[in-house]
Amino acid sequence: MTLLTIVLLACITFFSRYLFLHPKLPLRMGAKMTHFLSFSAPAVLTAIWVPIIFIKDNSFNSDLTNPYLIAATVAIITSYKSQNIYLTLGTSIPTFVVLQLLFKS
Amino acid sequence: MALNRKQAYLKMIQKGFIAMLPLNLAVLPWGILCGSLAIQRGFSVLEAILMPVLIFAGAVQLVVIELINDNVPLATILFTAFIISSRHFLYGLALRDKLKNLPFRWRGSLGFLLTDELFALSGESKSLQGKLKLVYALSAGGSFYLCWLLWNIIGITAGSYLPDLTNLGLDFAIAVTFIALVVPTITNLAVLITVIVAGFFSVILKLANWELGLVISSLIAMFCGYITAHKQTKLTIKRNRTL
Repeated sequence: MTLLTIVLLACITFFSRYLFLHPKLPLRMGAKMTHFLSFSAPAVLTAIWVPIIFIKDNSFNSDLTNPYLIAATVAIITSYKSQNIYLTLGTSIPTFVVLQLLFKS
Repeated sequence: MALNRKQAYLKMIQKGFIAMLPLNLAVLPWGILCGSLAIQRGFSVLEAILMPVLIFAGAVQLVVIELINDNVPLATILFTAFIISSRHFLYGLALRDKLKNLPFRWRGSLGFLLTDELFALSGESKSLQGKLKLVYALSAGGSFYLCWLLWNIIGITAGSYLPDLTNLGLDFAIAVTFIALVVPTITNLAVLITVIVAGFFSVILKLANWELGLVISSLIAMFCGYITAHKQTKLTIKRNRTL
């Protein structure tokens, strides 16, 4: 039963990724649509990461001692200054881990 | 010539791998979490391995592990997975014109590999144009697939020895990866507006428990970005006329 569920789930994820790549789909995209869709990457990725930072257990957390918020701020500044993924991960993740340990104890 | 072509492909495989490498590493905690959680929630090793092999989607895996464990009805599980996956429709749409006329082996493979991460790497206008760029994308997406699988397997192997990792804040690695992908792309006002609006509405709609909040907030943000760019072009044209 679980195996069947997994196969069905696989169909759903593949369907969602593949559907609009299919040539037979009767869909023509104009210049406006293409331009509109050019904003999809920053929009979707941001809509994923911002709630991770601000929402804890279904409530808004803008507490200044929120480790997510502090470390994300470090990440944004590093990324803006350096444009380097490694440096951004390398400064913010250790910040996050240290803060988690500090605030837990 | 044949050798040169081969060398060019090898170079692209290498480039794709290197471009994806930081993201491959960044999902390590998340992959271990998915693998170990499956074992801790009573899935067999085969089932736990088939999830990254076939489903290949962290957010879906994590949620359905809990749902299956809670004996939630199948229809609800599938519906939830569909909602979480619905953002991929946007990715397919955005890449449609570049991929739709290619043979199925490219559409199918890149479609299967079309994660948030691969989509983020395919953002530039010249991406996926020509065979070399396709090989690059395939290498980036393929290496991400293999790493995701490997991290899951580590989680599955260590599963019963690890504590429950769900509340350790491993999702921060995902957030910071996306920050590192988005911030360098904010090069004009339209993208800045997109990002601010997406952040604002995603939080509001998540707090309101809207199931489609992610997609709706993205669409609102894309619309605001589009309008901003449109208004700016109009302004520039006007200014140029008056000058």
